[in-house]
Amino acid sequence: MPSSQPLPPKENALFKRILKSYEQKQYKNGLKFAKQILSNPKFAEHGETLSMKGLTLNCMGRKEEAYEHVRRGLRNDLMSHVCWHVYGLLQRSDKKYDEAIKCYRNALKWDKDNVQILRDLSLLQIQMRDLEGYRDTRYSLLRLRPGQRASWIGFAMAYHLLHDYDNALQVLDDFRKTLTKSSYDYEQSELLLYMHQVMFEGGLYQKSLSHLQQFEDQICDKLSLMEARAQLYLKLDRQKDAEEEYRKLLKRNPDNRQYYFGLEEARGLTNEDIKLQMYAELRESYPRAILARRIPLSYASGEKFRSLVDQYLRHALHKGAPPLFVDLRSLYAQPGKAAIIEELLLGYIASLIKCERFDEKDVKDGPAEPASAILWTYYYLAQHYDFHKDSAKALHYINLAIDHTPTLIELYVTKGRLFKHAGNPIEAYRCLDEAQSLDTADRYINSKCAKYMLRANLIQEAEMTCSKFTREGVSAMENLNEMQCMWFQTECAVAYQRMGKWGEALKKCHEVERHFVEIIEDQFDFHTYCMRKMTLRAYVGLLRLEDVLRSHPFYFSAARCAIEVYLHLHDHPLQDEPTKEELQEASLPPLELKKLRAQQRKAAKKAEQEKQEKLLQQQREQREREQREREQRDPHTDAPPVDDLQPQKLARVEDPLDQAIKFLQPLQEWGSNHIEVHLLAFEVYLRKGKPLLMLQSVKRALKVDPNHPQVHSCLIRLHRFLTNGDLLSENVSHPAVTSVLNSETQPLFSNHNDAEQLNKEFLEQNKNSLPHILQGAKMMCFLNPTREAEAVALVSRFSDAYQGVTVQTCSDILKAFQKGEFGEAGRQEIDDFKALCHQRMPHAVDFFSGQQVAPSANHNHTVEEVLTNHVSNLTVEDGTN
Amino acid sequence: MTRATIELGDVTPHNLQQLKRLNQVVFPVSYNDKFYKDILEAGELAKLAYYNDIVVGAVCCRIDILDGSRRLYIMTLGCLAPYRKRGIGAKMLEHVLNFVEKDGDFHSIFLHVQVNNQSAIDFYKKFGFEIVETKEQYYKRIEPADAHVLMKLLRPQRSLSEPEK
Repeated sequence: MPSSQPLPPKENALFKRILKSYEQKQYKNGLKFAKQILSNPKFAEHGETLSMKGLTLNCMGRKEEAYEHVRRGLRNDLMSHVCWHVYGLLQRSDKKYDEAIKCYRNALKWDKDNVQILRDLSLLQIQMRDLEGYRDTRYSLLRLRPGQRASWIGFAMAYHLLHDYDNALQVLDDFRKTLTKSSYDYEQSELLLYMHQVMFEGGLYQKSLSHLQQFEDQICDKLSLMEARAQLYLKLDRQKDAEEEYRKLLKRNPDNRQYYFGLEEARGLTNEDIKLQMYAELRESYPRAILARRIPLSYASGEKFRSLVDQYLRHALHKGAPPLFVDLRSLYAQPGKAAIIEELLLGYIASLIKCERFDEKDVKDGPAEPASAILWTYYYLAQHYDFHKDSAKALHYINLAIDHTPTLIELYVTKGRLFKHAGNPIEAYRCLDEAQSLDTADRYINSKCAKYMLRANLIQEAEMTCSKFTREGVSAMENLNEMQCMWFQTECAVAYQRMGKWGEALKKCHEVERHFVEIIEDQFDFHTYCMRKMTLRAYVGLLRLEDVLRSHPFYFSAARCAIEVYLHLHDHPLQDEPTKEELQEASLPPLELKKLRAQQRKAAKKAEQEKQEKLLQQQREQREREQREREQRDPHTDAPPVDDLQPQKLARVEDPLDQAIKFLQPLQEWGSNHIEVHLLAFEVYLRKGKPLLMLQSVKRALKVDPNHPQVHSCLIRLHRFLTNGDLLSENVSHPAVTSVLNSETQPLFSNHNDAEQLNKEFLEQNKNSLPHILQGAKMMCFLNPTREAEAVALVSRFSDAYQGVTVQTCSDILKAFQKGEFGEAGRQEIDDFKALCHQRMPHAVDFFSGQQVAPSANHNHTVEEVLTNHVSNLTVEDGTN
Repeated sequence: MTRATIELGDVTPHNLQQLKRLNQVVFPVSYNDKFYKDILEAGELAKLAYYNDIVVGAVCCRIDILDGSRRLYIMTLGCLAPYRKRGIGAKMLEHVLNFVEKDGDFHSIFLHVQVNNQSAIDFYKKFGFEIVETKEQYYKRIEPADAHVLMKLLRPQRSLSEPEK
């Protein structure tokens, strides 16, 4: 439909040149032509020209002017598809996709067959997963452009994503018929395999099998073909054929676990003995395949297991296989297996020392084992005992290994891990630093070392370490952010959290969150690319991945940290003045304050110098970058400038709980199998005063683990919340809510009206588990502060019979004492409790008393310094309490 | 069962620390930074020995010129205790011998050994080295302080000043 403000030929020609300039990114020219039209008073308010001028301005980064022009243009010509389209493009460039979709729809009202607008609309619809809208748009496109491949594929895919398999297949098949056969056409092959995928997902197994058979010679990806066929045979109960297919696959690659399991299924094996028999045969056929030896270890038991694992261990220790323990660790969940392994290994050691054989009986038969065999055995045993939390034995074996071969890097990594598990992050990072120094070209070790530094709260050192592998000329921190190095950023966040630098911690969490946003944005490029390149199976895989992107563990850990920090900020809001650092300093004794000041001065001086240099460098780069960007700015993917994340601001948000909920919601959706999600949700909703949501969180948590100690604490606090009339009347006004709460909570509270009674029962039921006792004791104080002394006694008089006496639990108890959760009684217990724990867990720094400092002459960072860090963190919490 | 593999590898700035670590435990003498700095330039004259992919030994040599003739001096050649008598020392020494042979312009190879280190003396003798001198108080701070000089003459008839006909 023509515009309501038609231009005379001369102006029209100019207008066309604006369009052309825009497409060719010659924005200055575009503006020039627009000016020529608009300067004519007759056309000063010409809508489409104003719109195009706005769009051009947008590409030049002049956002405000852009909006102004585009809006004015639209007002002047509401019936122009161009104006609406432009407005849509503008919204899209600002990532306001919903708005953009509306604009495109308006544009289509005036020009319903405009292919460009339809295409743009379809992209937004698939990005926003408006699948029905997408299907309709793709239908229009197919109608208008039936000669284009993408029209058919897009339409079919819309049906597929809507699970309308029959229609999807119909379209695909019609399209396939139009294709000409050629000898080697990978794109066509992908199409055929995509058709199989649609059929398979639609449950049309027989049809899929015939499809694969019919086009076998046109499918280039033979491996996918074979795997698909094997799966189909299984689905169609054609066991013999499935077995044959899996045997062929195994011949191709005997190191693919799925093929072994497929073979088991094809043969219908459920009996362990027969399975073992099958693997014995496979070992004959594929003597070099590790899986044929590894998988049966999970099936065998007793003496059979002993003999199989014996062979397996000897083979690996002979060769020297560093990941042996990690490989076998999953067996430790099966009762008795760890003990057998331990027995074998101790036997090897004794025999290797005596006669260099794994067994003294072997002396006559074969050659001696290599000198490295005993080393790898020590190494394994260290990890084995570490797994069982026996740090004394673990250290004994790792030290034997290091004495034996001090040049083996893995040993230092493992030693570091032992210290980490024993609660000493400082000694742990030193080991990793040593490991790292032995091979500075190994990025894995380098990253591990950085991670351990972060665990010891040494953020600058970690950055320095990483900088050995990041791009030169840019600060490592910046480069790691740019590279979306999320493990680093999350560990940083958690380190800042430990140090009480809430704003810094939040900054890191938000950076990670932004990566996820960016990854979702990045999909955009694939909507057109994959369709064109026919990588349809991969494309569908991508869409499905993006749908559940935030279920990724990286998101989980960053979100958990953010929620915890926001909860803290809600409980202890930061004052504008004094700053948190000042608060922290105020609580330090004078001597430490002096030390701190000296450190600060030094650090400030160094930082200032670096900053100057960096600033200059950055300015230079920034200018260059902007220049470049301006030149090649693409209007479709151009992001609006992101506001900088400022720690100061982040830590002083007005609505920390609402911020926490933003991080929480994806977790609730995608991470609901983690109990922590529901525990955190409870904390947030408790503070929000939302009893129904609290109830929901408790019920979900109970579903994951009914006996988790912290669920009990939630229950008690929910009980208290509901029985405390004042709180309740404020938040629950509706009688229906009250009745739901009543009927739902009664069974949870085991019909107790008295929370203290409920708590008492919990303590009785879990009287040998320290983590449970801790929660019970905390609740005891919470419900009745006069019982603090009793509660302290409960958690500080544990015996060997107790379960869960770990560094973590004891340190939680200590923190609870320090934070005053057990009142004065708890504070008084601190020293004795530390001493008690230190005796049991001598490596854990949390239980070091002031004077205990590990020998550390040659290191840059003494334990004391780092300890000060840990302690000052705690004092901050105390101070704000 | 496969036999252990022994291979030689270069010393680089990245793995220099492994060499230091090794020398620290193998030798009673500690070497200064200059020593290690020079090693990085030594090329084929400094090698790490890998036993089943683990660094267990190292050899470091330098070229000395005396009376106008080039002599190869073995500064260190050592192997971690648990890996001795497995051909690792031989592999390293053979590498050095090959090097001088290929070069063709060395008068001799020599080294110092603590007088009580019989196993080392026997080892070198197997490769044609002879005790040519004993230096008293050669070592500082270790006992015994005396050292034998072991030498293997490569081309006794010739030196730089007296070219071959």
